[in-house]
Amino acid sequence: MTFAEAAERHLDDVYGYLVWFTGDRAAAEELAAETFERALRLWHRFDPARGSARTWLCQLARTVALDHFRSERRRARREQLAAAQERVDERFADSLSPELEAALRSLSAGEREVVALRVLLDLDAGTAARVLGISPTNCTTRLNRALRKLEEALHVAA
Amino acid sequence: MSQRDVLAELRGARVEAPAELRARIRLVAAQAPEPQRSRRRFALVLVPVVAAAIAAGVFLSTRPAHHQAVVHGSVALSPQARTATGSVFAPAPSRKRLQNYSASLDVQVANVPAAVARALHVAAGLGGFPASVHVSTAKKAGHADLQLRVPRTKVQAAVDRLGRLGTVLSEQVDIQDVQGGVNATDRTIARLERELQHATKQQAAALRARIQALQRRRAATVRAAHLATVQLALSTPPAKAKARHHYLREALPWLGGAAAALILLLALRGLGRVREDRLLSRP
Repeated sequence: MTFAEAAERHLDDVYGYLVWFTGDRAAAEELAAETFERALRLWHRFDPARGSARTWLCQLARTVALDHFRSERRRARREQLAAAQERVDERFADSLSPELEAALRSLSAGEREVVALRVLLDLDAGTAARVLGISPTNCTTRLNRALRKLEEALHVAA
Repeated sequence: MSQRDVLAELRGARVEAPAELRARIRLVAAQAPEPQRSRRRFALVLVPVVAAAIAAGVFLSTRPAHHQAVVHGSVALSPQARTATGSVFAPAPSRKRLQNYSASLDVQVANVPAAVARALHVAAGLGGFPASVHVSTAKKAGHADLQLRVPRTKVQAAVDRLGRLGTVLSEQVDIQDVQGGVNATDRTIARLERELQHATKQQAAALRARIQALQRRRAATVRAAHLATVQLALSTPPAKAKARHHYLREALPWLGGAAAALILLLALRGLGRVREDRLLSRP
């Protein structure tokens, strides 16, 4: 598989993951572009025997997103502004109900991330755990906790 | 809404990258160089081949050195140089040429005094004798240094039997050809004897003295070459408990360092994980 093929095939996945992870479409767009630029530089290191291109790209996207979160936090501290106050009201996906959108918004970035990987991208527990750098058990625990929170938030909204 | 419904709705969600982003990524992908898999595959093949070649070179260069045993010089032999029968390797002395032959053996034995007695018996049995014997024992440990002189023609048998006293730790054989020197002395004596026939009385006395000196030297060389020297060092194995303690004491700082590095690594990893969790814990 060439880099162009991998980029074309997995762009939606990487972008979707980043949208759910950051909760910000504009930021996700920038981060996706940065992810693929970095992926192009590191493509020679990609080994299909160790995992799929999608997993590898998600790992890169996660690193890029974490750098983004850190710089955002530093900037927010400098400007003494709460990040939540700056957040624009954007939708995670067009087909989601407003209640579920709001419930997703109430999750932490870490919880949304695991939902994105396991549900949106439909990765198995082992692969998602590898992307997150945690054990599969821990990954499943996080997903269950996130889904329970979603359920509770929807119950409260109802 | 149940968790199953939530999951179903989430699974139905599709996020598509905007056209602008797709165009941007295509531009990035267009910069990708040609696939270099063939070079990588070539490297994957080349690396083991080179490694195998290096390993073969090392193996060949470290083969037992007894094939290099030559008449001149000394050859240190490893325990692997033992023959199939378990005896030690010693090149055969020449039957036609005079040689100074010496061998040294370092043998580990269980009982040093008993091994010394057997070594002396071996030397005597082959028509040799001990030139020097030094034995020291303390408790169960002991050490002995023997210098044995045995007929050169029987040195192989002597080395073989002495090697069977215990475990050979190291052995060395030195063979020095002295036939050339003896031949040169013979020629010089012959020349001086020819000169003696035409010499004056005064010259004759000096020539005779020189001839006699050369003849004494020749005889001494021939006598020395008739007997080979075998240096035998006998020792008991080091106490196992002490050796283990010694290794442990040497390894302890390394183990401590490795453990400290591991703990530091785990601590840093844990700290990174905590910071990451804190970073991602906000909505």
